[in-house]
Amino acid sequence: MKIVVCVKQVPATTDAKIDPETKRIIREGTKAVLNPFDLYALEEAIRIREWVGGEVIALSMGPESAKNVLTEALSMGADRAFLLCGREFAGSDTWATSYALAKAIETVGGVDLILCGKQAIDGDTAQVGPGIAAKLNIMQAANVMQVDEIGNGTLTVRRMNERGYDIVRLQTPALITVVKDINVPRIPTLRRAREARRIEIPLWTYKDIGADPDKIGLAASPTRVVRTEPPAIRNTDTLTISGAPADAAKLLVGEMLARGLL
Amino acid sequence: MIFTRSDPSGFHIEIIPPKQDSQKLEEDLDLFASKFERVMESGFTASITDNAMGLLAFQGHECIKELGLRARPDQILIHLNTFHTKQNLDDILESCEKLGINSILAISGDGSPRLPKLKPSEAEADGTASVTSVDLTRYIRKHYPSFAVGVAFNPYEPEEHEFEKLKRKLDAGASFVITQPIIERNAAVDRLLAEYPDLPVIVEAWMSKKLFLLSDVVGYPIPEDAAFDPIGTLETLLKLYPGCGFYLSLLGFKTQYSAIEEMAEERRNSK
Repeated sequence: MKIVVCVKQVPATTDAKIDPETKRIIREGTKAVLNPFDLYALEEAIRIREWVGGEVIALSMGPESAKNVLTEALSMGADRAFLLCGREFAGSDTWATSYALAKAIETVGGVDLILCGKQAIDGDTAQVGPGIAAKLNIMQAANVMQVDEIGNGTLTVRRMNERGYDIVRLQTPALITVVKDINVPRIPTLRRAREARRIEIPLWTYKDIGADPDKIGLAASPTRVVRTEPPAIRNTDTLTISGAPADAAKLLVGEMLARGLL
Repeated sequence: MIFTRSDPSGFHIEIIPPKQDSQKLEEDLDLFASKFERVMESGFTASITDNAMGLLAFQGHECIKELGLRARPDQILIHLNTFHTKQNLDDILESCEKLGINSILAISGDGSPRLPKLKPSEAEADGTASVTSVDLTRYIRKHYPSFAVGVAFNPYEPEEHEFEKLKRKLDAGASFVITQPIIERNAAVDRLLAEYPDLPVIVEAWMSKKLFLLSDVVGYPIPEDAAFDPIGTLETLLKLYPGCGFYLSLLGFKTQYSAIEEMAEERRNSK
């Protein structure tokens, strides 16, 4: 089974800052990491490969520094990786990004299954995975929490919903986005991490994937991020309770009841 | 028997393996190897951390194996915390056994979103909310009895609570203790030595000038510009606690190691 996992380099949440003037995330000088949800997609892809055989290909779009997250994907166990890179891709919204990644997946060729994290922690849109499926005109299931069966050109998964889950059967090729409940991502071994750093990661331009330059980048993006606001700072109110443990516990419970916390 | 108080011949030197996200992994591995081999040559114990501060790093045992380092198993102490899958935990312990390593430091550890936490059922600690170093100690001693298991002792915690916890750790099979860093005579450490005269105790000595980190550990603010002489402090501690081993955290290999070797030699000669 040929599996592609789409991954994204995002700012580390602990480091992310917002420009007070432009209200946009400051990416320069901010530590970049692999989008946490994509770790689960990678892990699931590797488990599926271990289960039914095949190969796992990691795919990303971004500046050359995004090679780092692809190296991490290779360290976890992906077999190959490609990076869509070039200024033509810059400023792509979810629509243009989905188009570019879909073109790259077509370029890989013969892909049976595509996995994505349910969303990226910077944009939080959860649109790119479904967008890729739409561009490729293949079946998709979002928020998958378990893969039950694979075989005979189908894939059976559990799709998380508010009440529990639906069991969904998809024909392959298909795309799924996964939630954190699906697995526990492995920690790369040193041996594999060293091997991964020796694997060449080809850079693909829009020409390499046969993309229409009028459908990628900022100009081709129908949506705009107008403003990004940091969350409002919560009022913190520290109450120190002292006294004997039993008395302090009673006071604490009383305070929590009074504040509607219990 | 490097942990017995009658033979504190060497120091325990903290070595932090390269981080998983290192952009210069081979360089970092070379540095790890040179530190490790120097510690082996000096006769000290290499005390190798496990994802210290919750930062994802490679494991000590895999660095030793992968780099083909000349390990002297009696001089290695592997730290192991509760932030692993059971599979990972068993892999580490089995690998250490194969390397002939016989000492593990069982600690709760610092978590991070990337690190999985052992489940109580996996550590045979059903009925508890989360796995602690007590459960980890018990698990290691039950399934890997060849390891001597050490545990942490925090003299900055409420004393009765810490001593009660220590008793549970010892009941679970711990056979030596490493304290949090102290920089002067410490009443809780004195009590520890008095109450457990036969228990090997290793005192952590802070060898860094990064005082803000030490402030975090000791729980009271130490001004950044305070005069702090790590070597001088260690000399004082050696005199105050002559029967203890010493865990040297954040040791500067370039600037402090030679002095440490000289101090160790003096200690050995005085025994």
